[in-house]
Amino acid sequence: MPQPLNSKDQSLFRQVVRNFEQKQYKKGIKTADQVLRKNPKHGDTQAMKALIMSHLGQLEEAFVLAKEALRNDMKSHICWHVYGLLYRQEKNFDEAIKAYRFALRLDPESQPIQRDLALLQMQMRDFQGYIQSRSAMLQARPGLRQNWTALAIAHHLSGDLEEAEKVLTTYEDTLKDGIPPVADMEHSEACLYKNTIIAETGNLERALEHLEKIGYRCTDVLAVMELKADYLLRLGRKSEAEEAYTALLERNPENSVYYNGLIQAKGIPETDHKALKALYDEWVEKNPRGDAARRIPLDFLEGEDFKQAVDAYLQRMLKKGVPSLFANIKFLYSNSAKRDVVQSLVEGYISGKAGSQANGSAEGKQDNNEFLTSTYYFLAQHYTYELSRNLTKAMENVDKAIELSPKAVEYQLTKARVWKHHGNPVKAAEEMEKARLLDEKDRYINTKAAKYRLRNNENEKGLDLMSKFTRNETVGGTLGDLHEMQCVWFLTEDAEAFLRQKKLGLALKRFHSVFNIFETWQEDQFDFHSFSLRKGMVRAYVDMVRWEDRLREHPFYTRIALGATKAYLLLNDQPDLAHGPIANGPNGTGVSEEDRKKALKKAKKEQQRLEKIESDKRDARKAAAANAKSQSVDGEVKKEDADPLGNTLVQTKDALKDAMKFLTPLLELSAQNIEAQCLGFEVYIRKNKYLPALKCLSAAHAIDPSNPTLHLQLLQFRKTIDSLTDALPAEAAEVIDTEFEKLLPKSQNLEEWNESYLSANKNSVAHIQAAFLTRRLNWPLWTLPTVTIEEAVVALERLSKWGSDPTAYAEKASKKWPESSVFQLN
Amino acid sequence: MVDIVPLSSYPSYIDLLPSIQTCNITNLPENYFLKYYLYHALTWPQLSFVAVVRPKNGYNTGGTGAGIAGDVSGQYPKVVGYVLAKMEEEPADGKPHGHITSLSVMRTHRRLGIAERLMRMSQRAMAESHRAHYVSLHVRVSNIAALRLYRDTLGFEVEKIESKYYADGEDAYAMHLKLESMWMDWKAVEKRDRAEAKKNKKEGEDGADDEEDDADEGDAVGDLGKAEQNGEKMVNVKIGRALGVGDLVEKSDVQS
Repeated sequence: MPQPLNSKDQSLFRQVVRNFEQKQYKKGIKTADQVLRKNPKHGDTQAMKALIMSHLGQLEEAFVLAKEALRNDMKSHICWHVYGLLYRQEKNFDEAIKAYRFALRLDPESQPIQRDLALLQMQMRDFQGYIQSRSAMLQARPGLRQNWTALAIAHHLSGDLEEAEKVLTTYEDTLKDGIPPVADMEHSEACLYKNTIIAETGNLERALEHLEKIGYRCTDVLAVMELKADYLLRLGRKSEAEEAYTALLERNPENSVYYNGLIQAKGIPETDHKALKALYDEWVEKNPRGDAARRIPLDFLEGEDFKQAVDAYLQRMLKKGVPSLFANIKFLYSNSAKRDVVQSLVEGYISGKAGSQANGSAEGKQDNNEFLTSTYYFLAQHYTYELSRNLTKAMENVDKAIELSPKAVEYQLTKARVWKHHGNPVKAAEEMEKARLLDEKDRYINTKAAKYRLRNNENEKGLDLMSKFTRNETVGGTLGDLHEMQCVWFLTEDAEAFLRQKKLGLALKRFHSVFNIFETWQEDQFDFHSFSLRKGMVRAYVDMVRWEDRLREHPFYTRIALGATKAYLLLNDQPDLAHGPIANGPNGTGVSEEDRKKALKKAKKEQQRLEKIESDKRDARKAAAANAKSQSVDGEVKKEDADPLGNTLVQTKDALKDAMKFLTPLLELSAQNIEAQCLGFEVYIRKNKYLPALKCLSAAHAIDPSNPTLHLQLLQFRKTIDSLTDALPAEAAEVIDTEFEKLLPKSQNLEEWNESYLSANKNSVAHIQAAFLTRRLNWPLWTLPTVTIEEAVVALERLSKWGSDPTAYAEKASKKWPESSVFQLN
Repeated sequence: MVDIVPLSSYPSYIDLLPSIQTCNITNLPENYFLKYYLYHALTWPQLSFVAVVRPKNGYNTGGTGAGIAGDVSGQYPKVVGYVLAKMEEEPADGKPHGHITSLSVMRTHRRLGIAERLMRMSQRAMAESHRAHYVSLHVRVSNIAALRLYRDTLGFEVEKIESKYYADGEDAYAMHLKLESMWMDWKAVEKRDRAEAKKNKKEGEDGADDEEDDADEGDAVGDLGKAEQNGEKMVNVKIGRALGVGDLVEKSDVQS
């Protein structure tokens, strides 16, 4: 039962609330204790104290106290509200919603509780609940426009477009003094929002009509233009669409989407190159300094037309010394005829075949020099690129460019790239370091240099380079700042470098860091559920909500999810790796038990040594912090990472279960990624989950039925299913029978199947390799001249995985690729 | 090739934000949480623009839905430049004006005029959508290339030097450029408003004149920076790191 407070304590309690609101947390706790000394069982005070504690980083203790508060006063809405807020902090949103609901039942009129509930419902995409909450809030304050807009958003996102539009219209009808002034952005945005809802119903006629009515007075001018052009084109109102896209291009002639729109509107067929070229030429004339209208025709022009156009384009850009010229051109190379034309033209410029040049004057000579260096630079990139690779020529050209212009960062950078493609990450990192030294104040080149260190598995050197541009005094130093600034690229590269070295603890640590950054990004939307309503930019808000729902489809996520899954698979197959990299091949690779134990002991010792170093560092920092009282400005205490080496992660009891955390969103949002499906199979088959494993196979098969990894997995699945000792449940067996039959029929002779796969793919190293691997043979790849160094590296890794002696293989590879370092064993 | 696209295009390209953040931390020492980018994209969606490398086979086209001429969303092209811009929330001189929070172009994509194009797009939107009187920005005194762009190409003027503006102790030029010449003819818009109103009146009095209380309706844009609703207090909410950008002052409703 609630304890009544005397009036003095009551005013003290109100002060606790004030303290909390003003973030005077320590004061708040003191005041609360004052109340509790006389009223030890006062639930509301206990709850407020718990809430304050949670803001001081004592969430666990706060929960204990909040539960006690509830026991003392089950009927207090404050206690339930606080309980919900604590759950929210813990990100247990379902429980938080329940607690808020209790609180609201006890105090149905409370605006703050209603609002907190609504925000969470939105965060959890409980649209029906959100509609209810928003309806209640609208009833409480119907004069506020944002309450109407919010209800419309609730209906819209729940899929009820009609109701959403109706709510917006109802509000518009209440504007009795006519429409708000032109400068009223909230109104303008609400109108445009309604317009996009109408368009979503599919009734574009009505959307266009509505846009004509409101568009002239909307503040977002460009949006109105883009909407209009899109509607007109979809409606097939060609001549108006043409006008609309022309208007857009006049604002911004560097957007290929607008050109597409214009061409569709004009109805120019894709094959009418002449008409297309004429159209682009017109825009070149209007914007002589632009790039798009010059560049796009190179995509469709052929033969002599192409040659002329690309010649003019190349010469112009080379004279200007545009560093991105090659990046702009290389997409043409999937057409080998175009690639050859470009190559012979540019080689020709070197031998003086460029149009108007060299007029003898000093200035002319200077220009000519610049033209020549740009040309060497172009050729260096050209011969590095995979579709036109000749690394010897690449090196010659880059050296000439550097000779003429030794201070140019780009040229030195390209030299490092050439070494990278030689399969020599050691030299690549060294050359990139030289590039960095040419401009130490430029972060871009610093970034590259750090990345190349990581590619060479030099994690510490990479981090050290990063420290030149980070705040190193933050908790956790450089690495801490990179985490705080969400530097996804670095954490990913760092993780992959650790994975290559089989340092699984650290690799997992970094993969998890990126995973957590994605969680933060998802959490980030929370504040905007209220913020955006105040700002009125509701279209952008709705776009954000929809984007958040597919956040993890981002390639940044795909990459770390694939990496983490590989790390967990490795850990599952070779549990010894939990103690760090094992020198002579861990368990499961055919090494004698005695050697294995020796290596394991050594690894464990090394692990302990590293842990000791970290804990010493931690103690030193703690001591320093105690002296300097290093609390950050906003009063929140930043905790030291208790497991900087990822040892807790790597010593998991169930690596496959942990892998699922990464894999599930991956399979859901990147279902079209064949590597994801193949990895999914690897995890499921190890868990003996045959149905999901088969689902991955079917998905992979639908993407690319001849994928080499899939080929191996089909065989593995067949053999696994055939050799099962315990019968599967009837239903599962039936599904597998019918579904797998489509991929690899039971009646199929497996050897014939493998042979026909081999003959169908006899020009691809990876495919042949797969066919050989079905017999557990490493095929001598040299027989196919197209073999790449990357493919040879994969084969080498496989040899070590099998525990075979790779020496002979590595020697042979070294001879074939003499500039490489990756085949030097030690 | 490189396309310059609005971040808030139709359909929306907001999924470019993580790549914009990566572009920033690759190029510049002043970095921000993703939430700070979100804050820009959701407060002034008209003002930010992105330079992306068009994928080899172009964008998705030919659907019947929005983005029929090409849809960048969901394609995650490489971001090689961006301008992140805002309106000053509490202008000291009382004049609404824009501010460039961050602008960068990858070193490998210089000399294509990308930065200039990004700036011009943003400036125009500031004038048209927000009636900005001018746009301001800061630039390192050592950054000759940027200075040349702002001063010589775009016409900015140096207002003053802010000493030790950057975290590493370097000074900044505070620069600005007047934008009133790009304003729209709002008088004409208002005239059309009146004409439409007249027309509607003639067509019959079927407007809904109800009892509804609408005291809060139609707050002017300029009021957004000031405190409103009783019960809500001004609270400092730190969203981005205060590096080159001051703490954000945002209204935040605290439970009462």
